[in-house]
Amino acid sequence: MSEPPAPIAGATQPTGSAVPSRGPSRALAFREMLAELSKLERVRGGLIVTPDGLVITTDLPSQSPADALAAFGATLGRELELGADRLGRGGFNAAVFSAADGTIFVGGHPIGFLVLIGDQDVDVAAVRSALGQALDRLRTPVANA
Amino acid sequence: MSLGALLGRTWNGIASIVVRPPTAAALFRRALEYRNAGRYDEAARLVAEGIEQAPQSSIGHLLAGYLCAARREIEPAKLAFRRVLALDPYHPRALLGLARIALEENDLEASRALLDRALQFYPDFPEARALQEMAISPSGPAAATTGAAPAGTPLMSAGDLELGIPARDLSVTRADGSPVVARVDDKRAQVLAHHLAQVHRMATATLACAGLGPLRRGVVETGGGMTLLLSDAGLILSATVDGHVEIGAGLTQIADLATKLGMTASAP
Repeated sequence: MSEPPAPIAGATQPTGSAVPSRGPSRALAFREMLAELSKLERVRGGLIVTPDGLVITTDLPSQSPADALAAFGATLGRELELGADRLGRGGFNAAVFSAADGTIFVGGHPIGFLVLIGDQDVDVAAVRSALGQALDRLRTPVANA
Repeated sequence: MSLGALLGRTWNGIASIVVRPPTAAALFRRALEYRNAGRYDEAARLVAEGIEQAPQSSIGHLLAGYLCAARREIEPAKLAFRRVLALDPYHPRALLGLARIALEENDLEASRALLDRALQFYPDFPEARALQEMAISPSGPAAATTGAAPAGTPLMSAGDLELGIPARDLSVTRADGSPVVARVDDKRAQVLAHHLAQVHRMATATLACAGLGPLRRGVVETGGGMTLLLSDAGLILSATVDGHVEIGAGLTQIADLATKLGMTASAP
């Protein structure tokens, strides 16, 4: 045996009763939001991950290592939150990191982190703005859920 | 049997069906669905209810650990993961959970030991492999003192750290977390250097995982402003500016400063 059991092995069978929802399903809202952001020009895809690194939803090219990216993205997101707190810089909102072959965006939210992957010449300001708007939209249902 | 007795038995039968509490397994499954919808508080309540029914359930304690970590409750998360390990000493997900927290706390040695244990039985564990890469990357805890530039690093002083726009927390840090020079007091310089090294290590690993190459530039937006960073040749130049500064303009400023300091040949 070389692969670990599923995150919650033995608890993943369908129950026949979905999470009781008030208004639109949060899980569906996450998927739709990510799909929308992934359509932005020169954005390759992304994922939403909990602060402990579990994938909530992904919209990545098929060859992308989603689990590893989730692990990295969550750890990076947590450090950005913790560092902002330790240095008295206020709450963490978002970050952009660029390299020779592309760019990653990390947006912070109470449910976790939204990570987007873009090309090197992606329009950083446009994606950053769309990311901010999407996170703002998600904040309202969090308060009501 | 009288009609009354029959009705009574029927009613009791229905009532026993209706009021029968859900099993621990059912509670954990529902909790997982809540977690996947980002509804952590409701999920945590269900998990607590399930653990009351099944206190020896490793699934229950693992879920509790996940949810505490998701809600940024670190000490209770550690406790929950340790409870899982008390039941199953090599549970890979509990080991991963603790390793992630150790990494977050910059206890790289503990993180590596936990990941090694997880990978001993599950060598194809992508999340553990990913964190292991992060934990063994060249950056380490800050060891040197402010002002001690490494061999080959251009000599620079705090007075050289001038940006064309108002800025604070100006610093140059080695990728291993030791400060080179900073325009802040020594105590803050250490905290700043540690954070910058952690961000550098983690962003570099994330970019590499996505196949994008090593970190060159970064922008971190917080409630208190925008932190710009530039990485080259094992050094990280960083400054925090007002949040209203346009990202491109801020990055140009920091690239100009890096060139002036002689620390980069590849600044954009």
